[in-house]
Amino acid sequence: MKKKIYIKILLILVQIIFLYGLSILGNLIVSLLNLPIPGSIVGLLLLFMGLHTNIIPVTFIQEGAGFILVVLPLFLIPSTVGVIEYPELLSIRGVMLILMVMVSTFLTMIIVGRVSTFREKKEEV
Amino acid sequence: MQNIGITLLFIVLTIGLFWFMRNLYQRYPFAFFHPVLTTTIVICVLLVQLQIPYTTYMEGGQWLERLLGPAVVALAYPLYNQRTVMMRYKEAIILGISTGLITAMGSIILFAKLYKIEKEMIYTLLPKSMTTPVAIQLSESISGIPTLTAVFVMIAGFSGIIIGPLVMKWTGIEQPIGKGLALGSAAHALGIAKSTEYGELALSMASVSMTLSAIMGAFVGPILVYII
Repeated sequence: MKKKIYIKILLILVQIIFLYGLSILGNLIVSLLNLPIPGSIVGLLLLFMGLHTNIIPVTFIQEGAGFILVVLPLFLIPSTVGVIEYPELLSIRGVMLILMVMVSTFLTMIIVGRVSTFREKKEEV
Repeated sequence: MQNIGITLLFIVLTIGLFWFMRNLYQRYPFAFFHPVLTTTIVICVLLVQLQIPYTTYMEGGQWLERLLGPAVVALAYPLYNQRTVMMRYKEAIILGISTGLITAMGSIILFAKLYKIEKEMIYTLLPKSMTTPVAIQLSESISGIPTLTAVFVMIAGFSGIIIGPLVMKWTGIEQPIGKGLALGSAAHALGIAKSTEYGELALSMASVSMTLSAIMGAFVGPILVYII
């Protein structure tokens, strides 16, 4: 029983290293082509295409991918803690920016929801 | 030697606090108990009280941040799992997320022009509807301020799941497809969590739209930056 857990942990580690490799490969491609997009997105597309064409079997990444996605929020904390460097967010201008983000969010929800609902109704007819 | 101690201390502190806050959230699943929010607040208070500069914290924090890359790559896995649903509703999905992306980024540019907001802040705001790991990395790529982007992403997410359901009710968005797509493309991972309340289909839609709008946004964002 205990042995099985060790094997699983090892599997997760190896698969995360593989995902890390894809993200590094993505960074490399992005910097070679001089593109202003995140390398990890290129890594994501590579992995999706790899899975879709069966070049990368799902079993090769599923444990590691499943695990890293569960703990993903942890990796955001170093960035969000950086907010202590920006106390001006609590100024009138900061509040205005926050309101802008909120209004934009609601507009996005309304447009996306209406457009796809319209589509759905059309398909029913 | 002292540096390694500090590095380890902050890594262990962050993981420990996060683990505790996640358990707390599982017991009391209110939006404001979201572990990223609570852990961030506790660490911020600690740093301010003990007068520890952010750069010192980041000696440990950077190691956790580096795992954002492989985590973004891993998003391909749930997308791959949803490919049947994705193909089945491809028209609604493509239409929904592309108009969503135009609205999300377009409205920011419009407001920014209206209120004369400087370029750096526009770049910071632009990825605000995307899932946080991608938003942080895109913000970095287009020379925004990644930390502030992360804060705006959280504001978008929380307003999307707290006030968003009312907004959808007032505007007659009732079908699970519309709700799921709206939540996923405007309120990212928080929206996905909320969409579970509207059933399996809404959940799939939210999950697909979050990942697809992040991918599309990562390409459209830099183009917009080039244009404006």
